[in-house]
Amino acid sequence: MISAYYFGAISLILIGLYAILTKRNLLKILVGLSIMETGVNLLLISVGYVSGRTAPILTEGATPQTAVDPIPQALVLTAIVIGVATTALALTVAINLYEKYKTLDIEKIRGLRG
Amino acid sequence: MNPQYASLLIALPLFSAFLVPLIKRAGKKVILPYLTLVTLIQTGIAAWAFKEVYTTGKPIIVLAGGFQPPVGINLYIGHFAALFVLIIAVVSFFMTVFSMKAIDVEPIDKYAMLFLLLMLGATGMIATGDIFNLFVFMEITAISAYALTGYNKTGEASEAAMKYIILGGIGSSFFLVGVALLYGSLGTLNLAQIAMLASKMNPTVAQAALALLVFGLAVEAELFPLNAWAPDAYQASPHPVTVMFSAFVVKAGLYAMVRIVYLFKDTPAFMGILNLILILGTLTVVIGELSALRQTNVKRMLAYSSIAQIGLIAVGFGVATPQAVDAAVFHMVNHAIVKALMFLAVGYVAITLGCPCIESFKGLGKKMPLTAFAITVGAISIVGIPLFNIFWSKFRLLLAALQVGKTGIVALILGASLVEAVYYFRLIHAMWFEESKDEKVEENLAFSIIMLLLVALIIVIGVYPEPVWNLVQKAATDLYNVANYIKNVPLLGVSP
Repeated sequence: MISAYYFGAISLILIGLYAILTKRNLLKILVGLSIMETGVNLLLISVGYVSGRTAPILTEGATPQTAVDPIPQALVLTAIVIGVATTALALTVAINLYEKYKTLDIEKIRGLRG
Repeated sequence: MNPQYASLLIALPLFSAFLVPLIKRAGKKVILPYLTLVTLIQTGIAAWAFKEVYTTGKPIIVLAGGFQPPVGINLYIGHFAALFVLIIAVVSFFMTVFSMKAIDVEPIDKYAMLFLLLMLGATGMIATGDIFNLFVFMEITAISAYALTGYNKTGEASEAAMKYIILGGIGSSFFLVGVALLYGSLGTLNLAQIAMLASKMNPTVAQAALALLVFGLAVEAELFPLNAWAPDAYQASPHPVTVMFSAFVVKAGLYAMVRIVYLFKDTPAFMGILNLILILGTLTVVIGELSALRQTNVKRMLAYSSIAQIGLIAVGFGVATPQAVDAAVFHMVNHAIVKALMFLAVGYVAITLGCPCIESFKGLGKKMPLTAFAITVGAISIVGIPLFNIFWSKFRLLLAALQVGKTGIVALILGASLVEAVYYFRLIHAMWFEESKDEKVEENLAFSIIMLLLVALIIVIGVYPEPVWNLVQKAATDLYNVANYIKNVPLLGVSP
């Protein structure tokens, strides 16, 4: 069962990487980046998953024996926040690029070379 | 003083960055002086930590919240971290002075905030003792670096920032997958505990995890397949930011990579990863030097030269004998000094004469004699002429490569020096022997003092390398001696 999560996570990472490497539209590349980050987060979560246990929140009846490993969840929470910041910044830069070059095609945005 | 005050190295830039919007209410004029003040205090704290570590010979371990590692996150300010935190603080201080003249694009308050966060991120990457904390600091560095690259808001700046964001995003995803593999097999994120348990890990998994971590950090460390952003970002970002990238952001990435890889020193996975670093480093040197040859924009040429030097440092770490690590750390220190000088001088020329292209440098010896002199000293030093500092680190690197019989690396270092000689002497020739009809320019006093200080440092280290060499050897031992690293961190539930 757990290998299904790993499989899903790694496929997401590869789909994202494929989009980044092959697409020419900047927004599609950024979508690929987000998909890749989601895949990584899913991988981290599945590392700490123990089949049949509950969320690691201190409530009535939840003990360390019945909860999953909390550390990967804390990590993923941080990683999601960082991912949101990166995506927001990237979209801002994309808007700026569109205003300057009037296109989002990365083949046509080539002011710097050499 | 209580060593726990060393946590101010992280806390001060963080709080100061968030105070910037309040300071802005007092007027835009006070923001840059405020930035200078903060970096000056940071330099003071870093100097104190440096003195403390080097006089007692013991690293400062800061326990966040008083929790013992591995439950809490610890900062590890050993010999290496103390030296580089000091370099970061001093370079940042010089750059705040440079920013007063070099930055004329609004919003200056955002610039100050990002500047402090960049400094904080690099300091944190070098000082932390926890791999996920390292990731967070890496992202702080990276995100502020993305924003600073695009700060000028021209098309080129946005383009460079976009390249950096995409490569940085791929790199951080790789890094996280590596962390997931390490955590999944060892159940810990503390660097010292990872080192302690490293031999228990399946060698294949360890190798995969390390390769992913190396590729993740190669974006920050500007190693070959992932450094396509670097020349663009160096060229398009504001001049003080370029200095910071070259002087310490890339060093922080390289340090993090080497620290993590060396944790696995006694495992079978180590040799394979060293070969990977050697290959990446060699490719970086070759491609960096060859690309530098055909540049007409001096800032971009220096960017490629900087990348090639980083490749040499990586090669030193890839050889991994104690002598090679000493030489590599020495080269890191020298490169930080020389490239800070070069990018400062070139940036100054660019803001005075309008463009960092080779035409501005024709007859610079008559227009701005002091700046031209500084660039000449820096260039000669990079080429590796005796009596200048980089000669000694290249020489030590050669000796270390000869000791293990790797003649290929000797040829690489000599060939790189030859190519450097070609393009740097072209620049020197343009500065002193070509005519230009422009008038002589009055040079700014503060910049002249900073440039002369750095020139003096280059020559003093070149003539008397011994004191710095001794410091550097201690710093390199801190990196190399992993058993000592484990012993110094007070791990919970492990008897010392």
